[in-house]
Amino acid sequence: MYQPWAVKYKPKSLKEVVGNKEAIRKFVEWVKSWDGGIPKKRAAFLYGPPGVGKTVTVEALANDFRMELVEKNASDYRTEEAVKRFAGLASQYSSLFGTKRIILFDELDGLTGTADKGGVKAITDIIKTAQCPIVLIANNAFDPRFANLRNYCLLIEFKKPPATEVLKHLKAICLKEGIDAEENALKFIAQRSEGDIRSAVTDLQALAQGKKRLSYEDVAWLGFRDRQETIFTVLRMILYGKTCEGAKRAVNMADVDIDMLFEWIYENVPAHLTNPHDLARAMDALSMADVYRGRIRTTQDWSFVRYVIDFMTAGVAMARVNTKTSGWTPFRFPERIQALSKSKEERAMQLEIGRKIKRKCHISAQRASKEVLPYLRIIFKNNVEMAAGIAKWLDLTPEMIAYLAENDKKANTIIKLLE
Amino acid sequence: MSFEMWAEKYRPKTLDEMVNQKEIVERLKSFVKAKNVPHCIFAGPPGTGKTTAALCLARDLYGDAYREHIMELNASDERGIDVVRETVKTFARIRSIGEVPFKIMILDEADNMTADAQQALRRTMERYTETCRFILCANYSGKIIEPIQSRCAPFRFTYLPREEHDKYLRHIADNEGVKLLNDGLDAIYEVCGGDLRRAINTLQAAASLGKPVDAKIVYSIAGRANPADVQKMIETAMKGNFLEARKQLREMIQKYGVAGSDIIRQIHTEIFRADIPEPWKIKLADIVGEIDYRLVEGADEEVQLSALLARLVEAAYEIKGLKKV
Repeated sequence: MYQPWAVKYKPKSLKEVVGNKEAIRKFVEWVKSWDGGIPKKRAAFLYGPPGVGKTVTVEALANDFRMELVEKNASDYRTEEAVKRFAGLASQYSSLFGTKRIILFDELDGLTGTADKGGVKAITDIIKTAQCPIVLIANNAFDPRFANLRNYCLLIEFKKPPATEVLKHLKAICLKEGIDAEENALKFIAQRSEGDIRSAVTDLQALAQGKKRLSYEDVAWLGFRDRQETIFTVLRMILYGKTCEGAKRAVNMADVDIDMLFEWIYENVPAHLTNPHDLARAMDALSMADVYRGRIRTTQDWSFVRYVIDFMTAGVAMARVNTKTSGWTPFRFPERIQALSKSKEERAMQLEIGRKIKRKCHISAQRASKEVLPYLRIIFKNNVEMAAGIAKWLDLTPEMIAYLAENDKKANTIIKLLE
Repeated sequence: MSFEMWAEKYRPKTLDEMVNQKEIVERLKSFVKAKNVPHCIFAGPPGTGKTTAALCLARDLYGDAYREHIMELNASDERGIDVVRETVKTFARIRSIGEVPFKIMILDEADNMTADAQQALRRTMERYTETCRFILCANYSGKIIEPIQSRCAPFRFTYLPREEHDKYLRHIADNEGVKLLNDGLDAIYEVCGGDLRRAINTLQAAASLGKPVDAKIVYSIAGRANPADVQKMIETAMKGNFLEARKQLREMIQKYGVAGSDIIRQIHTEIFRADIPEPWKIKLADIVGEIDYRLVEGADEEVQLSALLARLVEAAYEIKGLKKV
């Protein structure tokens, strides 16, 4: 039976909620405070971006504490009239059967001007006299419409959980579904979701359901799925172009930037230009395009970009002399992208270490990070004493030591030696 | 064994300590004697002592407090025109107090300065000659604009001769209590090609393993790109499997951080050892040289080197065709 994983794997208990530990702690404390009498703020206002677990937190809490959850969301009418009918429920903490009650107004952003007219005011009125905890949820608590309402509420912010937390959640789901997923694939989904757990889980399901394995290649398409057709057309115009003009025009059609397009071409040239002479010519054109990228970098003169384009499009198109165009070869997603984004963070770290080396070794940070750092890595892996000496001499931070040692245990040994 | 960077520890402090580049050192000494230094360009490959020579010159000239009279700027990190306008100018125009009436500005990796910055530098050099002398260090003097070149005394640094290289490394190894075997020394020279900084770094990393330093260790250290790996990549390309060869290349660059210049140097060596008709070796050397040059200018090492791999695939294809006829 089809069931959205976002529902299937919704946390049942507060323990399972991903991230936002501080917000949850504050919320639980407030709910518990009701046991000692009505607190100063009779409502809690949970706010934050979509998919970070606001509603889930309330539901899990009700479950953990065995409370009766009465819920109203945007799909219900929330005119003054409709809300007022809630007032009775809110006037008692315990339900008929003795369980405690909690009332939730979800998706407050969805209160539209005319249809839900007076809704906010009615909710405010209920809060003023409420005998049981009332929870409000919205993306933006600071909408001017809530200005008065806010005065009666304990504001609790929910933040985007870090990608590592999302990753953990995805891993757990894969384990339960029996899917063997590459770490990189899950990382990509987690990062792309930018803290929206719900969308991450939905993406995971779309990609992985019914599969035994999930590879990076499967996932890499995510950001491009809707643009797949465009990029294929563009590649076809370049790799099978008959005229320089035609190949160059492809650039205007592409909705990716020049560097990204370069990657697509660079990835796909070998499979589509199989004759060795053609391949050498095409790769030579890409090499020249890259030389012009280098010239842009040294001169900071972007007008050179037209030569980059000439070589990477027309240059590649004109390389085809011997390779027949018959047969159909699929286009592949550029593999290097994965490595590039990973190495971006790495390069920042390397440059930081390079700066430390520069201070001592009369060499630019750029060169130090390329030419000295690899040797440091070997030393840090093999000789903790020498590593500690160098770390002290260069004044490296613990993060840098950990990066160079590539192993937490080893890094700790080195850091201990420093003290 | 001492626990700092040996390349720094063993950097000569004075011109007398500099063992190599004899002629250059003599001329620099004469500058010290005269207490006058012209603007200079120190050109030459990395690890041949350009920065060291500049620092030694400064120390001999100003004594131990030389730091107060010099400024070191690295053009790779700060190469824009603003740096020349602000930092360089501010330093250059303030008169030095002391016996020597001028300060020294060391511009390292000056060939990485933008053309604009070089133009701005030219005027600064002229205007403040009295208060500041410039030493520009560069791998390729050709990348320094003519007007600057014509204002500078040129010095061409070359790789250390083998004996000097060996003597220096043995001296360090003895001092640090490291057992450096003959084949280890050979391997260091082959891998580093006379770049002394790299050679010393390689030696130190090899020594960190705590074993006698032999060829095997050196090759595994040298970015783990021992010649066998490059050899394998070339073989793969020569068999016509471009994609696989490119994959091996990518692994070397991304996983092991091997510098493109290292890889191309090894490709160059391997080509003359390869089992191909003699005339082809020189044809391929030309191609390697061209790509080597583009590596310097280009933005992406993998793209440049894989263009070279494609040419190897092509060459092997042509050679095979010739054999059939």
